[in-house]
Amino acid sequence: MEQEWSYLVEEYRAMLYRIAFSNMKNRADAEDAVQEAFLRYMKDEKPIQNKEHEKAWLIRTTIHICLDILKSGWYQRTVPWNESFENTAKNIYLPYQVRDDETLEAVLRLPVHYRNPIYLFYYEDYSIHEIAGILNEKEGTIKTRLRRGREEVKKILTEGRP
Amino acid sequence: MGIQEVQSQNGTPAYQKKKNAGRAEGFQESFLQNLKNRKQEKQANTAAETKQAVTDMQTEVKAKTEKVSMGRRIGTTPDIRMNAAATQEALQAVEVRHMSYEDSDYVRIAVTEGYTLKGKLLRNMDMAGKKNRNAVNGSGEEENGGAEALQVYVEAKYEDGRLEAYQVDTAKVSAGTEHMIERFALETLEEA
Repeated sequence: MEQEWSYLVEEYRAMLYRIAFSNMKNRADAEDAVQEAFLRYMKDEKPIQNKEHEKAWLIRTTIHICLDILKSGWYQRTVPWNESFENTAKNIYLPYQVRDDETLEAVLRLPVHYRNPIYLFYYEDYSIHEIAGILNEKEGTIKTRLRRGREEVKKILTEGRP
Repeated sequence: MGIQEVQSQNGTPAYQKKKNAGRAEGFQESFLQNLKNRKQEKQANTAAETKQAVTDMQTEVKAKTEKVSMGRRIGTTPDIRMNAAATQEALQAVEVRHMSYEDSDYVRIAVTEGYTLKGKLLRNMDMAGKKNRNAVNGSGEEENGGAEALQVYVEAKYEDGRLEAYQVDTAKVSAGTEHMIERFALETLEEA
């Protein structure tokens, strides 16, 4: 059982951390969100159908935890003291080399309904079908958000505003 | 006294209806001529129709060929010119392998353009199957020899959900190519 958990953590920890970081934009909160997601997975008694379902469940739960933290009154009254919101792209630790940190910064500044589809599609390499499953949305909605989100990224890069 | 027909000795009427007989002959000639003309006209029409059908078929085949070649024009964005002849030789559409970012030699994430590209240099192991097949066919070593390390696998994912994969023979790509996939293959080669 312990081996099973350690395998699960090793398999998904890095990816879940990146997704949590893209939402929280600081390391400590991202790590908290990932831990909470694993805890919920252990406590959850619903049967997991397969590996894809397991991964989608963990990503969805991590995003929900992040959004809950961001919405909480406590979080809105605090500011992380040891990390600035600038250069967040440097701290995301993608498993491949990204040449264009500026664009990633712009993606991380998007509103949440654009940020998550765009981050999952471009930086985690998920398909539209998979993202629709993870975010519980229709594929058409995801396509629209990708297109509109891309326009927003262009605006941020050219005009410096979302 | 009734009308009595005067007959000649051989039984033919003494007077002949020369006028009517001449008319009948004229009509017959005219009728035959008409028939002949109509037949010729029909033959001419048939020939024209056949010619038209052949032309139509050729046009249809040409249109289909163009459609197929349009389908093969891949990885094109409106602002990128491409050399079609060079592309046909260097690029080959292949089956999508669903390669991950981690497995790729080079990745380009173009959020503002709406696509991602993943490239991987095909090593000897990847090419082994093809090499063996060629060896069996007898075309073999000379075609593949030396060029096998220059093949690059490129996977493109677009914002509308399309997923395409190509094998690029970098030896056939010109250095100044403006084609997106070909250029990316060259960059992959440099990175790998």
